[in-house]
Amino acid sequence: MSLWVDQYRPRSLEDLHYHQELSTRLKSLASSGDFPHMLFYGPSGAGKKTRITCTLRQLFGPGVEKLKIDQRVFLSPSKRKLEINVVQSNFHIEITPSEAGNYDRVVIQELLKEIAQTQQVDLSAKQRFKVVIINEADSLSRDAQAALRRTMEKYMSNMRIILCANSTSRLIAPIKSRCLLMRVAAPSAEDMQTVMQHVSRRVGFDLPPDVASKIIDDSGGNLRKAILCLEALKMQSPDLSGSLTIAKPDWETYCQKVADLIISEQTPARVMEVRQKFYELLSHCIPPTVILKTVADRVVERVDEAIKADVMHWAAVYEVRMRTGSKKIYHLEAWVVKVMSLYKHFFYGMDFD
Amino acid sequence: MVDDSDDEPSTAKKTPAPAKPRKSALLSSSDDETAPKKSTSVPAKKARASLSAKMDVDSDNEQPQRSAQKRKKPSVLLSDSSDDDGDQPPTKKKAVVTSSTSKSKPKPKPRVSMPAKMKDDEDFIMSSDDDEKLVAVTSDEDESIKMSVVSKAKAKTKGAAKKAVANDNEDEPISKPKPKAKALAKKVKDEDGGAESKSKGTTTEGSKKPNWAALQAAKARGPVAPGSKTVPDGEENCLLGLAFVFTGELSSFSRDEAIDIAKRYGGRVVGQPSSKTDFVVLGEDAGPSKLAAIKKHGLKTLSEDEFLNLIATRKGKGKGLDEKTKKKMEKEQEAIKAAAKEMDKKEKEAMKEAKAAGGSSKVIDPSSQLWTTRYAPQSLKDICGNKAAVEKLELWLKEWPQSYKSGFKKPGKHGMNMFRAVLVTGSPGIGKTTSAHLCAKLAGYTPIELNASDTRSKKLVENGMNIKQHSTTNSMGSMITDRSCLIMDEVDGMSAGDRGGVGALNALIKKSKIPIICIANDRQAQKLKPLMSTTFSLSFVKPQASMVRSRIMSIAYREKMKIPANVIDQLIAGAQSDIRQVLNMLSTVKLRSDSLTFDEGKELSKMNEKYSIMSPFDLTSKILGPYLFSHTARETLSDKMELYFQDHSFMPLFIQELKMLQLMDKAASSISDGDLVDSLIHGPEQHWSLMPLHAVCSTIRPASFVYGTGAHYGGPNSMSFPQWLGQNSKQNKLNRQLGDVQVRMRLKVSGDKHEIRQSYIPALHPHIVGPLVEEGSSAVDKIIERMDEYFLSKEEWDTIVELGVGDKKDELILKKIPAATKTAFTKKYNSSDHPIPFHKATDLGKAPKKLAAEQVPDLEEAFDFDEAVEDASEDEKNKKDPEDIANDKLIQASKKKATTGKVKAKK
Repeated sequence: MSLWVDQYRPRSLEDLHYHQELSTRLKSLASSGDFPHMLFYGPSGAGKKTRITCTLRQLFGPGVEKLKIDQRVFLSPSKRKLEINVVQSNFHIEITPSEAGNYDRVVIQELLKEIAQTQQVDLSAKQRFKVVIINEADSLSRDAQAALRRTMEKYMSNMRIILCANSTSRLIAPIKSRCLLMRVAAPSAEDMQTVMQHVSRRVGFDLPPDVASKIIDDSGGNLRKAILCLEALKMQSPDLSGSLTIAKPDWETYCQKVADLIISEQTPARVMEVRQKFYELLSHCIPPTVILKTVADRVVERVDEAIKADVMHWAAVYEVRMRTGSKKIYHLEAWVVKVMSLYKHFFYGMDFD
Repeated sequence: MVDDSDDEPSTAKKTPAPAKPRKSALLSSSDDETAPKKSTSVPAKKARASLSAKMDVDSDNEQPQRSAQKRKKPSVLLSDSSDDDGDQPPTKKKAVVTSSTSKSKPKPKPRVSMPAKMKDDEDFIMSSDDDEKLVAVTSDEDESIKMSVVSKAKAKTKGAAKKAVANDNEDEPISKPKPKAKALAKKVKDEDGGAESKSKGTTTEGSKKPNWAALQAAKARGPVAPGSKTVPDGEENCLLGLAFVFTGELSSFSRDEAIDIAKRYGGRVVGQPSSKTDFVVLGEDAGPSKLAAIKKHGLKTLSEDEFLNLIATRKGKGKGLDEKTKKKMEKEQEAIKAAAKEMDKKEKEAMKEAKAAGGSSKVIDPSSQLWTTRYAPQSLKDICGNKAAVEKLELWLKEWPQSYKSGFKKPGKHGMNMFRAVLVTGSPGIGKTTSAHLCAKLAGYTPIELNASDTRSKKLVENGMNIKQHSTTNSMGSMITDRSCLIMDEVDGMSAGDRGGVGALNALIKKSKIPIICIANDRQAQKLKPLMSTTFSLSFVKPQASMVRSRIMSIAYREKMKIPANVIDQLIAGAQSDIRQVLNMLSTVKLRSDSLTFDEGKELSKMNEKYSIMSPFDLTSKILGPYLFSHTARETLSDKMELYFQDHSFMPLFIQELKMLQLMDKAASSISDGDLVDSLIHGPEQHWSLMPLHAVCSTIRPASFVYGTGAHYGGPNSMSFPQWLGQNSKQNKLNRQLGDVQVRMRLKVSGDKHEIRQSYIPALHPHIVGPLVEEGSSAVDKIIERMDEYFLSKEEWDTIVELGVGDKKDELILKKIPAATKTAFTKKYNSSDHPIPFHKATDLGKAPKKLAAEQVPDLEEAFDFDEAVEDASEDEKNKKDPEDIANDKLIQASKKKATTGKVKAKK
């Protein structure tokens, strides 16, 4: 059995439970015959991909759900082989150029050109164009984005591009201006309540609203997380009664432990310990920004009012640096040391600077 | 004891102005004086000394005290050398010092500089010779003697370190804060000083162990007046025959300078104290292991001032030495003379011979030859070092004809006779070529040398070396006979123009009828790989300085140059035992003068210095060690950056390993800055010109915040290989695996990699891993079903387990799963077939093993008949959809499991 979150995913625009306005708009766009390039952005778990899939279905019919995965090999300028996984149907193709790291430009150029230069041969197809979905568009490098610019205009007749990103801040303005921006906001608590009730009805049990709101509180607007959580909870205690504790994901618990380490002792030796933990998290594929955010949240919870703002301020500062720099650990650690020394100075009531 | 205090004040007052220029002269060491006398100003030192004295008593008040001290600072200096009495400075200084000590008057203003570090252990009152408020100006000698005796006794009980101090305490000037000094002075007066040294001893006891606060304070105190002390003009070679060990940080000299001083006067400096060490010069923060060694061997210790005093007072050449050493030296001298004479003789003979033989041809006057030619070794015993290697080489050459006859089957004494050729390797200038020629000549061969100045391409090597058993003239213009020996010099220099040369040479070696000696610098060079199997590798090592010294000495003697042994040693060390370079340096000097002083020698070897490559570990200890950033360090920013450039990609990582909270903050943010710069350098724009900035941000600046001795930054073994490298590759690996997981799940799941990691893996864990722990093998079927649903294979299952952190860490989880369960799971999984979403491009070559999904009980799939056309022939079990998988797989290797059915099913 699939997890509920996958099993009960809406498959058409009509099935969507929230952002009705957006759904209507997408529907009319799809049927207008004049479909633009689009940029879907919003936090994870808000339903971007689901909406994209629904839109495609609206455009091309159920054929788009017949997916296959291809592994394509590209050659980087230095003749290194880049393996890119491509998910495609007869009508669209979905790529994640960030898999190619610094060489995403190569992937964008080659793949897009190839697709753009191929006409739709299926005469029965509803649309003349193919759709290219570019995942994680906000992690495209500058070069790749630049490569995209001209392509988007030049091959408009054969191809539409749908970009999917968490935030538009890393996209260059020319790209944004060529796309219709679709903001998929995180669902409100009521929206989530509706969805979860829907899911529980489909599964066939009764979800007490208070349990639902507890899960919603915990999920922070991430519907995927909420539904996964609901399923886990249901598995834990099938009747959903009594005192329920929502199990946090392993990495979150771990991050909190790190935060506690920082608060409980401020010494160089402790910094080393924390660094060890950071390495552990990083190497287990937790993105550094997530680490910083989770740890900072926890630290802020536990420190005195007076330095909360500072802690967050520095977290913000180092988050930016982390994005610009290349070795994340330096910045994570610099932040930890900064927090430790802030805390210690506050604790002893002195200012060394 | 002389009471100089009367005339001293005026001197002291006068000297300040002249003192400055001189000091700078010392720093640049460019002045002509061999032992420059300097009057010294003592700015911060004073503050420091008084501060630490104060700290002993009452560390809380450190801050105010410091500022108070600072205010006083400007009044400076004790100068012992006035311009007019330059002829006898050492004695004068001594007199001054002693006299003032005997008075033991603390005098407030003009503070004498004292080694800050030592003062902790041995504080003896030292009065400077100033006119102000002398409480007891004319204390008599008796008193001073008594005092020193008492303090000596006291010191003895305190351990080795004090012992030495006691002996020389008169020259240990100490300045004290005024009030304290006064009080002390009174005490001294009252109770003859014994009590005082006692009280001091106890107060200082506590501060012996270096603590962080003290170090901080020490740092804050600022530089301890580098160059604040005069190097006395001791007699030449006054330290001859003495062995010194330096430890800790001296207050006015950097370690290197101190070592130089010792060497300048003929002393020997060794790294670790042993029973043969004569003196240990103790500085601040001396290493604990060295202190232990001092205790063990009962060595004499000296403070910085005592050390200087030793130079000033010790008798010069020979006089202070025992008979044995003297004799040894004489013998050496004799040997040198004899060797020089012999050289002379030989040269004359050679000339005569040449004249007789050459007749009309012009005889080259040896004196017009390069020294390296003129003094090239004429016999095996002239060769410095590598005796064993040279002997082997000679033996091999001598036995070569026999080896040839026997077909190179008999290994011979050194196993060398199996080879037709020898590859001699070693650093430049240690006599490889010379030895090869010499050996060849001695073994009766005619050497034919080919070096980098000859073209040695494949063709030329092949043609030119066309060796016939009978003499022929080859293209190199020399006769090749069976008594020829080919010396291929600079084999590693066979470069672009010599294409194929090494290969041809190798081929030549294989069939050669004459011995071949190949010479190269680096045995590891890629280019020489082909030669490794066909040649016997003989490595030459750098001869030790002592071996080279006697030879150089005799040459110098012969050239009538007056060069002291210590200068020669230095040249040799500077040239890293490159004899040729030393000779060249000497012959250059000879053009200008007949003698070479220590300082000139130093400059000379510095100018001819070779760059050596340091390992990252050496570099790190150098950068973070106590010396580079200490106030006595003389390195400039560029020198420090030079260290970074030794290995620019690693250094920041090493530096990151070590830190300290207060300063760590600054250091860490600087490293963070460095990373930003780094991304500019290695990013798309490649601003390589920013490398110096990167050097400062990532290495120099952080190090300047956190430098110190090992014990303070988190444990004795705190320097380790950067974890980043390992962690990064682990991260990359797991990232790739996570990518695989995501791709497989992609058909069911919309999230990206991060979502998979952050949401799905924790959610899947209780479904596909948890049951194995809790229910054991009974859960296996359920788990496999769930995995198939998401197209996960056993590999991905491993990845999911591996990605866990904290209490989900893979080791913990795997430990909890009984081995039997694991086996059952693996077995069961392998025995059944599973759906595969696609084939990896890399798998295409192999015949696919798993052909179809069989146990996918999807209800939805039941509707999925629209495209089920052809049945996979081999799979009996497909009830539903697998046919498309089966055939796609065979044909195009990428396949998907149709999901169309689902929607339909749902509706």
